[in-house]
Amino acid sequence: MNAPVRAIADPISRRPDTPRVHRAVVAVLGVAVLALTFASVAIGYAPFDVPAAFADIVAGRTTLPAMVLWELRIPRALLGGLVGFSLGLTGAAMQGYLRNPLADPGVLGISSAAALGAVLVFYGGLSAGFSLALPLGGIAGAGVAALLLNALAARGTSTLGLILAGVALSSLAGALTALALNLSPNPYAALEIVFWLMGSLSDRSMDHVLLCLPLMVLGWGLMLSTGSALDALTLGEDTAASLGVNLVSVRLRLVTGAALAVGSGVAVSGAIGFVGLVVPHLMRPLVGARPGAVLLPSGLAGAVLVLAADIGVRLLATRPELKLGVVTALVGAPFLIVLLLRNRGGRA
Amino acid sequence: MSLALHEVRVTLGGRTILSDIHLTLERGRLIGLVGPNGAGKTSLLRVLAALVAPARGRVTLDGRALADLHRDERARRIAALFQGAGVGWPMTVREVVALGRLPHRHAFAGLSDADQAAVARAMARTDVGHLAGRTEPTLSSGERMRALLARALAVEAEWLLADEPVTALDPAHQLDAMAMLRAASRDGAGVVAVLHDLALAARFCDRIVVLSGGRLVADGQPEEALTDSLLARVFGVTAERGAAADGTRYILPWARSGATKEKSDGVIFPG
Amino acid sequence: MRSRAVLALWALLATMPAARAAGVEEPVRVVSMNLCADELVLRLADRAQVLAVTYLASDPRGSTVASAAAGVPVTRGLTEEVVALRPGLVIAGAFTTRTTVGMLRRVGAPVLELGVPADLDGVRAQIRQVAEALGHPERGEALVADLDAKLASVTPSTRPLRALVMRPNAFTVAPGGLGDALIRAAGLVNVAAEIGRDRFGQVPLEAAALADADLIVTDEGTPGMPSLADTLLHHPVFRALADQGRTVAIPNRFWTCPGPQVAEVVARLAAAANARAPRP
Repeated sequence: MNAPVRAIADPISRRPDTPRVHRAVVAVLGVAVLALTFASVAIGYAPFDVPAAFADIVAGRTTLPAMVLWELRIPRALLGGLVGFSLGLTGAAMQGYLRNPLADPGVLGISSAAALGAVLVFYGGLSAGFSLALPLGGIAGAGVAALLLNALAARGTSTLGLILAGVALSSLAGALTALALNLSPNPYAALEIVFWLMGSLSDRSMDHVLLCLPLMVLGWGLMLSTGSALDALTLGEDTAASLGVNLVSVRLRLVTGAALAVGSGVAVSGAIGFVGLVVPHLMRPLVGARPGAVLLPSGLAGAVLVLAADIGVRLLATRPELKLGVVTALVGAPFLIVLLLRNRGGRA
Repeated sequence: MSLALHEVRVTLGGRTILSDIHLTLERGRLIGLVGPNGAGKTSLLRVLAALVAPARGRVTLDGRALADLHRDERARRIAALFQGAGVGWPMTVREVVALGRLPHRHAFAGLSDADQAAVARAMARTDVGHLAGRTEPTLSSGERMRALLARALAVEAEWLLADEPVTALDPAHQLDAMAMLRAASRDGAGVVAVLHDLALAARFCDRIVVLSGGRLVADGQPEEALTDSLLARVFGVTAERGAAADGTRYILPWARSGATKEKSDGVIFPG
Repeated sequence: MRSRAVLALWALLATMPAARAAGVEEPVRVVSMNLCADELVLRLADRAQVLAVTYLASDPRGSTVASAAAGVPVTRGLTEEVVALRPGLVIAGAFTTRTTVGMLRRVGAPVLELGVPADLDGVRAQIRQVAEALGHPERGEALVADLDAKLASVTPSTRPLRALVMRPNAFTVAPGGLGDALIRAAGLVNVAAEIGRDRFGQVPLEAAALADADLIVTDEGTPGMPSLADTLLHHPVFRALADQGRTVAIPNRFWTCPGPQVAEVVARLAAAANARAPRP
């Protein structure tokens, strides 16, 4: 009677070796990111001899094609990858941490705060005529949001408290943005900002890359460092704590990492929606639902999605070019719906 | 080799939950923590797991204050199994069990061979090997309990704290779970389980600790601890006692104390 | 204060047809609801005829009549504001404030809707149309004559240089519109015809840089009036083009509306083209 009820043991798991699948997915996505980055450099609006321009750069000749390559094509491709990786990674981290499949990078209000910061700095005329005013303002906004959220997180607020604080922050930042636009001396401010917020990578320069790259890399590091803690948190906060997870430290790293990555992303490209929400859902069928395992593939898949969308807006015959957020939603939403229909019954 | 509480007092939100708890637990035994609802059983377990710091008194592991232990060392030495939280994502059973190895792993490192072996041992002990590739939502309650128990066993800690491990299980699975906990204690771990079922507690535990109103009211072998007067005073029940066919003795809460037979309706514990 | 209160009360009591009857003998009193209409009204009407213009008219960034608009009451195109002024004529653009125009038509107010001229003849016709409606046809003729005199004084570019207009937010002057006509009047070739695909074509900086235009026309913006549109002007590639002397600044407000100021666009384009040395 003390012997456990025995079932016929199946010594070989039906699932393929998970770490190997994970490595394969990461490798394929990594190659895809590289290929799309090169494609993004090669594809543009005007016929353009990329190798010749590259030779000019290497030789130090400042020809117009060299400038176009170095200050337009390459920054655009790099930003597509950087912003996409940030959005995908942050989405996966937020969904994992909040144990909520609806969470996205904006759930903590960081995107809205970044937008508010950008609007305040820019239309407030604090630095008129300075090309990096907008991204710097965005980063400042995200930074303030991160400080507020960290103050809450460090006091040991529950996960739910953090979500509510994020919702409140989002609404407040949205309202203040509208107010700032109302008071702006430029009658076209609202229109400009609405379009900007839909996300675009057009006409960015290497300055933008240099501005956001270090912040994003730091943010990625912080978020990736929480991988095993996110795994433990699937069993609840008590069990995670019993497994040696420092809950406060995890919260601080996630909030700070998300603020750095998403804040600087919004600051240079506007808010590109849907990537962070949909990408983790696309990755789970491939690498499993373990939150830590979803992080890196989601970042890479986010980069793939944004790079592909950005190539798409340049190939599509619409002028003005479609906003990136529009394309990512148009591409991502059907994927998500198909996935949900296929997984109906199970927890997606 | 002991986990001990010294004059511990715990307050939550200004309310005193536990007071004057003096208790020394030793390894190699299955210890049942019983008491009516609200007695402070789960709080005591959380104190032992260092999730709650006592307002007064000390908790020590082999003489060292639990609070001074590094987080990772404590996690390697004390495993905890909490109910209710479930699994947040549809992870496979193997992935869930492997979480028990987190305290042994370095940052960003994968599972070592030793980790793989420990996971395999834990899955064998709870007989979930055939479930390894199944995801959590597809498991029955009994299978889920065994998977979560395997996760806790995979830590291979000196101590295993289990909060209501048999609640919501059918009788066969309750017996299985208790047998597994006892087996873990026979392998050398100190196992502390919060239990509601006095019959199961008496049948499997080496030692019973009874809490009531945040105080320790009885402590000893089942027959010593669960006396008729204690059952009446603390639980408000009377019990039938006897010997089973295999010779082991049993205690079965049978009626509310002072209640007529007609009123007894199988509800064993006062709400 | 008291007179305004009386006016408001009167506006509430009076019906619009009565107001129209009152306007027959005297010069018609107008409310303008569109920036381009503002510019023509302020140039052609007596000050006493102008009941209100739009709030945009006094913004020097977008308006060529900002000084003339000083002190003139403004509206934001809301029906209530317009009705309360009891105008004899409402001049509106064909594409703006549609709700208000529809509402005004329903209460029987006379509305003149101005189209968007596509060439210089259209500009002349619209000037005459508005002057007629205001009861000053002779002023319309004078304004057209003034425009033609300015255009006649322009020496068109001697070489058919290629010009690309990058207006705020990189909206360009697409072929088939008034802007295109102005570029041609200056003796230049509109590069947007090769790039842009429709009337609202927007030119990416990359395409502009690689289009090999001789002249890139921008609006340099106004200090203290930050606009996202200006960020383009700080882009390294744009600065490189500017360093090569290929850029010329013409304020956006000169392009926006049909009026005598369009001659200024032609003059500046031609001057810039003639000043630019032949490329090696």
